[in-house]
Amino acid sequence: MNPEVTREAGVRKFLAPYSPLRPHFEELANNLRSAGDQIRSVVVTCPEAGAGCSSVCLGLGAALAGLGHRAAVVDCNLARPNLHRVLGEPNFVGLTSSLEGDKSLENSGFEVASGLLVIPTGPVPSDPATYLDNESFVEAIRSLEESRDVVLLDAPVSGGVLSSPKFSKGFDGVLLVIHASRTSKSNARAATDDLLEAGVNLLGVVLNGGS
Amino acid sequence: MLVLGTIIVFVLASIVYSLIQERVYAAEATILVTPQGGLSGSGQDTESLMQEVQNAVSTDEMLAEAMRRAGWEDERSFEQRLEVSQFVRQDSPEFGFRVRFSAPEAQEAARISNEYATLFVERVGDISDRLAGGSLAAEADVESRAVVPDNLSRPKPLIYAGIALVAGLLVGGAGALLLDSRTRSWRGARDAEMTLRAPVLGVIPEYSQDGGESQG
Repeated sequence: MNPEVTREAGVRKFLAPYSPLRPHFEELANNLRSAGDQIRSVVVTCPEAGAGCSSVCLGLGAALAGLGHRAAVVDCNLARPNLHRVLGEPNFVGLTSSLEGDKSLENSGFEVASGLLVIPTGPVPSDPATYLDNESFVEAIRSLEESRDVVLLDAPVSGGVLSSPKFSKGFDGVLLVIHASRTSKSNARAATDDLLEAGVNLLGVVLNGGS
Repeated sequence: MLVLGTIIVFVLASIVYSLIQERVYAAEATILVTPQGGLSGSGQDTESLMQEVQNAVSTDEMLAEAMRRAGWEDERSFEQRLEVSQFVRQDSPEFGFRVRFSAPEAQEAARISNEYATLFVERVGDISDRLAGGSLAAEADVESRAVVPDNLSRPKPLIYAGIALVAGLLVGGAGALLLDSRTRSWRGARDAEMTLRAPVLGVIPEYSQDGGESQG
């Protein structure tokens, strides 16, 4: 069986309301919302690739939508676009095309579930930093907040977030995803310490693949 | 568990070590050295001269001569049994050396201690004119001769066990910290919160490709 097809089917299954993972994502969504209504844009990052950032973004977005909040997930991994792939969607329009002025972000994605908008990266630029370090990126996300209660930014690993002032300070908070069997404790600790030292508003941690 | 295991291994090793150690008699002679001439009497001068004396006297030739007089053949074993330590007299420029020798026979321990102390005194006499470029001289004498010991020199199992306990705690603790930081196994939300000192907002179980939670 094609692994991409299997992966897509799996991801779509946990987006569904009957998914056994849904209660766990709903608990996460409730905890996130309890941080306050002012938390509208959340950078979701991880200490190293493979912790499941994109899956957590989708599951959390679906849970938020299921709880009645209008949510959006924006793929900000311009170096390694992922969301369109796991959902089996095209990547012709998305974040980059919106930043170039084609369309608003609200109209650059696709609704994968009721109340959940997913915005892929769009065409991959040769110099991703020029897009993500630009004030127009923050403004675009803020504009999206006008139509969405919560915007989740599927961000690069924490090192990349820290190197970009827009990511580390431009939004309302950061959620760190660690994987229970793939993320080393030393890397997770270093990432947390670095984020806190940089003055990032670390909302909390998600333990993915835990028990 | 790792810390406890390391401590147990270290303590057991120390007990075994103290049990298999050779039972020996130890005898000690004392040499007193009196500086002659312009030594100020300050602690620094005394320690400096004491070190100079020991370095000048304790040479390979001296060791060979001591072994010859003692009738000892194995140099390594001789060195292991011989212990020369320094001491300083309070409020006095005098200082000295304790010569301690351990041997399986009590008489042998005392005899060799005394022979070494006598040789040491002879050597101090020989080299005293040369100390500090001839500006200082020192006289040495055997202050107290070693007596034949009555009892075996006891190993110190409690001291060894104490050292082993501390060493085991340090080594085991360092090992546990290292292993824990390198591990990729998180025991749950509490573990994550303790390690990262940040709140865990959610725990998502392992996700399998068929859409269900994995069983373990």
